Amino acid sequence: MKKSIIVFGFTFLSASFILITNGCYESKKVADKSGAQLWAENCSRCHSAPGPGEFNNDNWDIVGTHMQVRANITGTDEKKIIDFLKGTNTP
Amino acid sequence: MKKAFLLIILALTAGCLQAQNQSAGSNKFVVYGNAEAVYTATKDESGFGDINFKPIFLWKISDKLFAEAETEIETGEGEVSLGLEYANMCYIVNPHLILHAGRFLPKFGAYRGRMGEAFINRFAADPVGFGDGGIGAMNETGVGALGGIPIGDVKLNYDVYVSNGPQLLTDSENAGQFEYEAYITNNKSSAVGGRLAILPFANSSLELGYSFQHKSKTGDAGSDYENIGVTMQAVDMNFFQNIPGIKSTLRILGELKHQKTDNATYNKNGGTPLNFNNVSTAYYTCVSIRPSLVDNNFVRNLELAGRYSYFKRPVDAPWGGSNLRQFEAALDYWLHWNCVVKICYLKQKDEPSIFNAQVVFGF
Repeated sequence: MKKSIIVFGFTFLSASFILITNGCYESKKVADKSGAQLWAENCSRCHSAPGPGEFNNDNWDIVGTHMQVRANITGTDEKKIIDFLKGTNTP
Repeated sequence: MKKAFLLIILALTAGCLQAQNQSAGSNKFVVYGNAEAVYTATKDESGFGDINFKPIFLWKISDKLFAEAETEIETGEGEVSLGLEYANMCYIVNPHLILHAGRFLPKFGAYRGRMGEAFINRFAADPVGFGDGGIGAMNETGVGALGGIPIGDVKLNYDVYVSNGPQLLTDSENAGQFEYEAYITNNKSSAVGGRLAILPFANSSLELGYSFQHKSKTGDAGSDYENIGVTMQAVDMNFFQNIPGIKSTLRILGELKHQKTDNATYNKNGGTPLNFNNVSTAYYTCVSIRPSLVDNNFVRNLELAGRYSYFKRPVDAPWGGSNLRQFEAALDYWLHWNCVVKICYLKQKDEPSIFNAQVVFGF
């Protein structure tokens, strides 16, 4: 069992490291997604999406980072989503 | 002492709520969370109970530094209890990697800490085997790494961590079960765990996850049980789709957890030796449908859900016995994206049926 855990862990970490440093790429279809589309898709994975206007700009920044941690949203997607939501707030 | 601590937390919360709308400086702080109240009725008794208040404190210290903490104030045991659900410090290395340390909710499966949160869960109760008295990792103290990695149209989510892990219980009532939420360690051994999930579709509508945790020594240091190891695994699925034909959103959830503990000889009351094959399995599957695309405001806030859950426990364990089966149906009304009223009917094998109603307000 110990051996399989070590193999699993090593493979997982190696694959992650390689992907993180070299392999992260998005298809054009994914890269071209708007913040609005990512907002609808990612929030709804777990819960109803909070509407634009729900929080002020500072709070959207905090919520976005919290969701990066809780839901593994990439920093790139998080920024697009939060920029979209901030953009709907009245200046 | 507890009361004083409670008052400090409430005062801090009140102060923070007052301050959270102010915008100044780069260090940003806010308090969110939720409050829950439950009404339960069986054929023999009924009443309100289990009031929970769970403030979540979030600090975005800089673009790289983030801290999150959740306290739980609950009345489920008949008195006010205070717990620290998590206090997690995060360093954001890049868009795909976050390092964290502290007490955190491990991604072991998708129910605990995510789909089971009261403002997400469509039901007032947990599936059997997934709540208190169930199996699988719940709260951990340690360090970890997590993130999401895009690969073409696909996305991979990963979490790995090293933590104190579960602690074996050996008293006559709980022999072979674990404390999954201990605040401090009980020996020199650490648990290693993680979750790997794939979102195969570009629209992220499907997520399939595999979780793993192993700890080679779970008993108290120096005790006869120190070298008892445990291995846990879980697979989970989350699928949602808007279906324009029926103007509704369909969601299908499922998770299976398996836990194997090394054999040991425990003592029953009176000193009689107790041996059993300490293997447990729990799973649930849930379907919900919400007419979220219809024009009528009242109707689109309704959601109908059904859930089947099963918990196979070690037959001879003092906390085991017969397997548990539950079927639960729920009618929910969404007052807001994170506020919901749930009306639930739970039917279970060999036990009386239960009517539950729950109000959850996210804030």
